[in-house]
Amino acid sequence: MTTEIHLQRAGELLAPFAKGTNNPEVNRLDVKIAASDLPAAASALTDASWGYLAAITGMDHGLDVNELEALYHFCEGAAVTTLRVSLPREGCPEIPSVSAQIPVASFFERELSEMLGVTVVNTPDPSRLFLPDDWPVDVYPLRQDFKQEQAASVQPDPTPEPGRVGNKFIVPIGPQHPALKEPGHFEFTVDGEIITGARMRLGYVHRGIEKATEQRNWIQNLYLLERICGICSHTHTSAYSQGVEKLAQVEVPPRALAIRELVAGLERIHSHLLWLGVVSHEAGFDTLFMYSWRDRETVMNLLEELTGNRVNYSICALGGVKHDIGTEQSATIHKALDYLEERIRYYLDVVTSDTTFLQRTRGVGTMTRDEAIHFGALGPTARACGVNRDVRLDAPYGAYKRFPVSIITDERGDLEARFVVRMKELLVSCFTIRTIVDNMPTGEIITKFPRKVPAGETVSRVEAPRGEAFYYIKSGGGESPTRLHIRTPSLCNWTSVINKAVGHQLADAPMLIAGMDPCFSCNDRMVTVRRQADTKTLSWFELREYGIKKYGQRK
Amino acid sequence: MTPFTALLSIMFFPAGLSLIFSGMLYEWVDRKLVARFQNRIGPRWFQPLADTIKLLVKEEIKPHGLNSLLFYGLPIVALTGTLTAALYSPIFGLSPIHSFPGDLIVTLYLLSLLTMSMGLAGWNGSNRFSLIGATRTLTQLFAYEAPFLLALLGPAIAAGSWTIKDVSIYAGSHWMIFSQPVGFFIALIGLMGKLELPPFDAPEAETEIVAGALTEYSGRGLALFHIGKSVEMVVAVSLVTAFYLGGIGNPFLFLLKTLVIVLLMAMLQAMLTRLRIDQTVGMWWRFGALLALMQILILVIIKGWLV
Repeated sequence: MTTEIHLQRAGELLAPFAKGTNNPEVNRLDVKIAASDLPAAASALTDASWGYLAAITGMDHGLDVNELEALYHFCEGAAVTTLRVSLPREGCPEIPSVSAQIPVASFFERELSEMLGVTVVNTPDPSRLFLPDDWPVDVYPLRQDFKQEQAASVQPDPTPEPGRVGNKFIVPIGPQHPALKEPGHFEFTVDGEIITGARMRLGYVHRGIEKATEQRNWIQNLYLLERICGICSHTHTSAYSQGVEKLAQVEVPPRALAIRELVAGLERIHSHLLWLGVVSHEAGFDTLFMYSWRDRETVMNLLEELTGNRVNYSICALGGVKHDIGTEQSATIHKALDYLEERIRYYLDVVTSDTTFLQRTRGVGTMTRDEAIHFGALGPTARACGVNRDVRLDAPYGAYKRFPVSIITDERGDLEARFVVRMKELLVSCFTIRTIVDNMPTGEIITKFPRKVPAGETVSRVEAPRGEAFYYIKSGGGESPTRLHIRTPSLCNWTSVINKAVGHQLADAPMLIAGMDPCFSCNDRMVTVRRQADTKTLSWFELREYGIKKYGQRK
Repeated sequence: MTPFTALLSIMFFPAGLSLIFSGMLYEWVDRKLVARFQNRIGPRWFQPLADTIKLLVKEEIKPHGLNSLLFYGLPIVALTGTLTAALYSPIFGLSPIHSFPGDLIVTLYLLSLLTMSMGLAGWNGSNRFSLIGATRTLTQLFAYEAPFLLALLGPAIAAGSWTIKDVSIYAGSHWMIFSQPVGFFIALIGLMGKLELPPFDAPEAETEIVAGALTEYSGRGLALFHIGKSVEMVVAVSLVTAFYLGGIGNPFLFLLKTLVIVLLMAMLQAMLTRLRIDQTVGMWWRFGALLALMQILILVIIKGWLV
């Protein structure tokens, strides 16, 4: 009911700009607008505090239609309003920036311009975000007429980055740095120990996944998307299968949905415990790091026992799940949760009472509720600032209607609050998992899934451990998607980190970065460069011959 | 003392080689204890020796644009300083080899030579991590040095001498940990600051500035700095033990006492979170220095009363 009210209100707000509206699904409203009206339309929504900008999807409709399209997805509760802007394919398509109203749009706009060749007018930082430095100019990988030969590497700009600005140093962190567990690049301008400026660059672990999905069939994509992230692999498969099932109008058995939610809960436990270890290591509290990772083994072993895998659980299948959970396994789950709950309570006590640790977390990186909303923060980062934002409650999907979770928020907004929120969320997850295990619905775990998915487009949102993961899936009626766009929560949270780092000490920077639980490999998934000099293609037999020869020589 | 025995004592025992090896063993004890506190297995007993040998045989890379004399000279100066300090210290519970009035002050300054060499080594170069590390190293030096000195002056005032030997002999009959507990506590924490152990490891905080002042060092230079640090640990722990825990005497008993201090330090390392450099300085000057000064004041007053 509220969803309809939300959509109706969005329709009224956008009425002055609308060139045509459409309701493709019950919870979605598509509004066609002209490119020049975009900033005004975005302002209309943000001024009325209607939702937040979840993603900008760029699409190329191909040479025949001769049209590019940019979709601005706004979410409020379960309602999704999409502003559709049509752009000419030839010449230099231009679109005005909305970064002034919505800071997080800056990242989306950088992605849009480098992937599709759309010039975003007045965007604060037009430099590349994901594409490598040696990627050729004027080659846009998501255009339909893109060919792999075009991606030959070019000589990147040889000027080294400046070491200082005036009398202020620029401290580089990354791409390779002990503070980062994954490659990213940050430049902190420091005045003594105080940070006065921050910049970032991503894209060091690009694998071209979005493009690759267009060449694989629906089933193969499940395995590909699972490998986006090594921490929240289940998030991606469940978001994808949920979207594709919606498109194919396949009803998933309730037991399968319950198992999906159960695995998602276990994944959240392992992810948050991993995060606890990483952040305490950044703070120089290695004892907590070692302890939390030791206890994380419990949940990893549990996942292995339930699914057969520790990292890419591969439990989701299109139309259901692959493995059932029996009574014997329920007992194991309860036993493991007994131990985990005790440990999580202990860690909650440590992070709220250890004096030296609190010196590094209390009052550090404090973000107010309004700032969190303005910067478009998601997940525990937003909830620690008192923002009630959780897809599991706002738009209950899967089994979350049957087994709801309670939301944890904290008003303080500093690093300590993020610890508290995450640890309490784990206790909620433990409780939910127990409820699911004890009240598992009976029935099948999988239904038959068609090879071809009817044409259409849908939006699938799932709450990952780090916040909302957003999937846009478009099917042309064939065996593979025509466009799949993924926006992971880390990308939205970067804005808050980069803005809040200024004014803090350099010593706090690693903790601020880690405090939002960044996941680089989730962000980076777009494109690979083929360097001609040092790569060659080998067939399986050639590779085998090569291996035999190489290892034969060593004797 | 004949020239031959003097040479023997400097080169092999108790200073020189035996000191270097015992430094490695102390380092191992420290690492192993911290590892066990953190629920890890920890290194095997010969790991510090293996690390040193590995570093010594590795290529030493000298970056562009820095002073060669300083780059190659500073590690030697650092090690020499700590080894020389050992000559005036009661290592292994033995009476110091050399002694002269006021050698306590000289020894403490020789021990600081390592920190200052590291500061200079970081400053000598264009690496931004080293520069920030050097700044932090020297900032921290100003924080703990005065309180640590004052904490060791306490026993000296009680003994009425500035000679390490005399203070140690006096300490043999007076366990000053009981009469000056504040001094012992400050000396212990100061020791951790001096050795840049957690929570005072901001100068080499790997998650912020990689390896701090020594980021550009490799091979031999790095090995010499490491040996210097291990030796400094032995010398400084011996000094604190001799001054506060019953002076010189039975080497076996003395060894046990030093190990108790290492155990205490390992526990503190495992328990505490790294302090930011401003927090370190604030802590030392707001509490450490004041407490140490107060203790000295009380000592002087009592001493004046009695005499």
